[in-house]
Amino acid sequence: MAEAALSDIRVLDLAGEIGVYATKLLADLGADVIRIEPPAAAGGAGRDPVRDVGPFYHDEESPERSLYFFNLNTSKRGITLDITKPEGRAVFEQLAAKADVVVETFHPGYMDEIGLGYAALSKINPGMIVTSVTGFGQSGPHAQYRWSDIVGVAMGGMMTLAGDKQDPPNLPYGYQGYIGAGIQAACGTLMALMHRDNTGQGQHVDVSMQEALSINQETAMQTFDMTKAIRTRTGARGALPVDIPGIGVYEASDGHIFAYLGTPGGAPWTEMLAWMQDTGRAEDLGESPYVDVINELNMRFLTQLVGLASSDPAKLQDTLKALAHLSEVFVRFCKSMSKWTLYEEGQKRRLMFGIVSTPEDLAKNPQLEYRQWLQDVRHDELNETLRYAGPPYRLSETPWAIRQRAPLPGEHNTDVLVNDLGMAQQDVERLQAQGVI
Amino acid sequence: MSELDAKPTKGQPLSGIKVADFSWFGAGPICAESLATFGATVVRVESESHLDGLRAVGPFPPGKNTYNVSGYFNNYNAGKLDLTLNLSTERGKQMADKLIAWADIFITNFTPRIIERWGLLYEHLVELRPDIIAVYQPMQGYDGPHKYFMGFGAVLSPITGYNELCGFPNRPPMGVGTNYPDYVINPGHTLVAILAALHHRKKTGKGQRIELAQIESSVAPLAPAVMDYTVNGRIETRRGNHLPHAAPHGAFRCRDNEWNGQPEDRWCAIAVFDDAQWLAMVEAMGSPAWTKDERFGSHAGRKQHEDELDAKISEWTADRTAEDVMAVMQARGVPAGVVQNARDMLEDEHLKARGYYVYLDHPEAGVTAYDGPPFRLSKTPGVLRSPAPLLGQHNELVCKEILGMNDEEIAEALIEQALY
Repeated sequence: MAEAALSDIRVLDLAGEIGVYATKLLADLGADVIRIEPPAAAGGAGRDPVRDVGPFYHDEESPERSLYFFNLNTSKRGITLDITKPEGRAVFEQLAAKADVVVETFHPGYMDEIGLGYAALSKINPGMIVTSVTGFGQSGPHAQYRWSDIVGVAMGGMMTLAGDKQDPPNLPYGYQGYIGAGIQAACGTLMALMHRDNTGQGQHVDVSMQEALSINQETAMQTFDMTKAIRTRTGARGALPVDIPGIGVYEASDGHIFAYLGTPGGAPWTEMLAWMQDTGRAEDLGESPYVDVINELNMRFLTQLVGLASSDPAKLQDTLKALAHLSEVFVRFCKSMSKWTLYEEGQKRRLMFGIVSTPEDLAKNPQLEYRQWLQDVRHDELNETLRYAGPPYRLSETPWAIRQRAPLPGEHNTDVLVNDLGMAQQDVERLQAQGVI
Repeated sequence: MSELDAKPTKGQPLSGIKVADFSWFGAGPICAESLATFGATVVRVESESHLDGLRAVGPFPPGKNTYNVSGYFNNYNAGKLDLTLNLSTERGKQMADKLIAWADIFITNFTPRIIERWGLLYEHLVELRPDIIAVYQPMQGYDGPHKYFMGFGAVLSPITGYNELCGFPNRPPMGVGTNYPDYVINPGHTLVAILAALHHRKKTGKGQRIELAQIESSVAPLAPAVMDYTVNGRIETRRGNHLPHAAPHGAFRCRDNEWNGQPEDRWCAIAVFDDAQWLAMVEAMGSPAWTKDERFGSHAGRKQHEDELDAKISEWTADRTAEDVMAVMQARGVPAGVVQNARDMLEDEHLKARGYYVYLDHPEAGVTAYDGPPFRLSKTPGVLRSPAPLLGQHNELVCKEILGMNDEEIAEALIEQALY
């Protein structure tokens, strides 16, 4: 295997859910990430909470069966260590002396309280980079506020934009608050690494989930800043005042399809009509007045429609009627075809169709299959090979790779303490007896 | 702000790094902006012959609507120099080659079809600059049966599973209301890859080619749903605001606000994952009698009767402001947060105290708000050194100081519409 980009970097991973995607990104690029979990002896609250989140392998709800944990901890080694005990702290300090990065997600100030904050760690290791990922950052009036994923997407301005006006604002699926914070934390960590490469100096990286997500507001922030108008959730139709044929989500025979016809760069509605005619599903759209509207139908035409409201209300009514009929025929067309046919045949005609993929569609997507995107990872302890999601990026010289499956609790205790730190086997056994590891 | 503000920096993580930013819309420009924020010299290449669509889309400041004042465009392009190059002209291509030879990093999210037409494939770039880090962000990838499929954020979001999985089950799959993967997922993943490649180059002197297929980058965060299918055969779909391991969990309707004479619905998100948080929440609500109901006494019970639980909580939140609900919950250690809109964000006392939003004085748009650096480095904080550039604002500066052209050559480039 080619050398990995981060093969010379060691990361101590204390991250909870809000930061664990960051350490996965570093690990799959080759960093030696040591995941540190509280030992079982520390009691129920000491369990790694990431192991409690589903989905689970064959729905077996056990800390060693979480697919969520598996995915977020690929390519890492794992040890158990109670950093709240003095003996555990001493081990952590020894690890820190030989590490480059610590990623932690405790409440601001906690690491300082237990003597392992940035100030203390930088004395042990001046090049140390400490990345702290929290809901609201290390400073400010809400620094001590409690967070979870939904609190992040709410306070970060994303949730207000999602959903139908008749429903509560929607929670984006899949812990997108944690994902966003994790991505920004990986970026911040590597940016600090650039500075260390230049100067040898470490530093403290502060990531707030709320800030990490703000730019996901799209134009909402700038819209209020410039015009004092508030963007809110607008449901399936989006910001369009009327149904526009070929824009939005439609039912296919076996699921849903998204269409955005008439955008610059793509084929015009006349191509859509040609497809309908080729398949015998155009009904009366080839006749006047519908074909006339189709010949003109583009973004500029739609913009001009608004002007007709005052200049020629009768023409506006006729046009809207024709558009409504186009919509009906288009709806019937979509309903008569499969989502994959609409997507692939439509795209071949340069009509902007996008399949509304289910997880099954993602797993069977011909493009992802051609590019061998899904990854098979061996789990000896399950006597099975599991199929994982693949790389977010492909680096030609230093490929992304899942180097090993996620660690079992304490799997690398001996490996790390004896082989890396040079501890005697009996000292490791003593720590185990004391419940430190 | 003078033009010089966008010139080389000192002491920043990326001081001395040069970037040829041949991208447009969201995923490329946002990534390149982060490089500028942390010290790189970034030349954004545009052309009036294929204008960045965001320049034409608002919001615009009142009474203005030129290509230079779009809040959508400007928010992603602070700190950059701007060069207009028409790559359909021979001279434009030559100037692009010179700029690439100057650059440490090349980035583009144009489609493979356009990049092939312009001849900006990696094989050409390494001839100009052997250690270049060349970054491509195609929608689907540079090979495969869907290589030439079209798309942008609004279509990418359904293709990659977000629409099917987000929202309430009784509604059609409509996504999260934005071109979501464009803003953090794809630019952020790209930045991770670039910085890792820079680290590798520092060690070995070698550049490389990075390909971020936006479909792959966008599906990667949905890995658990993909694995639930590949491992368990389950086809997950949208299920609203609930989570399997939390209850209550959702957004609760609070007292309406009034804004511009219209009622405005207000919501507060609350999340309870264990008994301790539930007991704290009960106390925060003043321990109303219904909370003693034994059905709500355990996580399993709360989960089983979650709709009734939601209704009871909504009765309690209905006549309180969202801000009060958050404050009362947070005072007891219950994770809770107002569903903030853009006004709340810009007026958020916490974000203000941290100085998150940055106000920059743009020559045409005036003073407007920009998203600040998305992560904070204690010794080398990111800086938005200048507002977004005007279209072609730095043509002369870049031609002279980077491309080494004299006045005569610049004049020829103008006449041939290469600088356009």
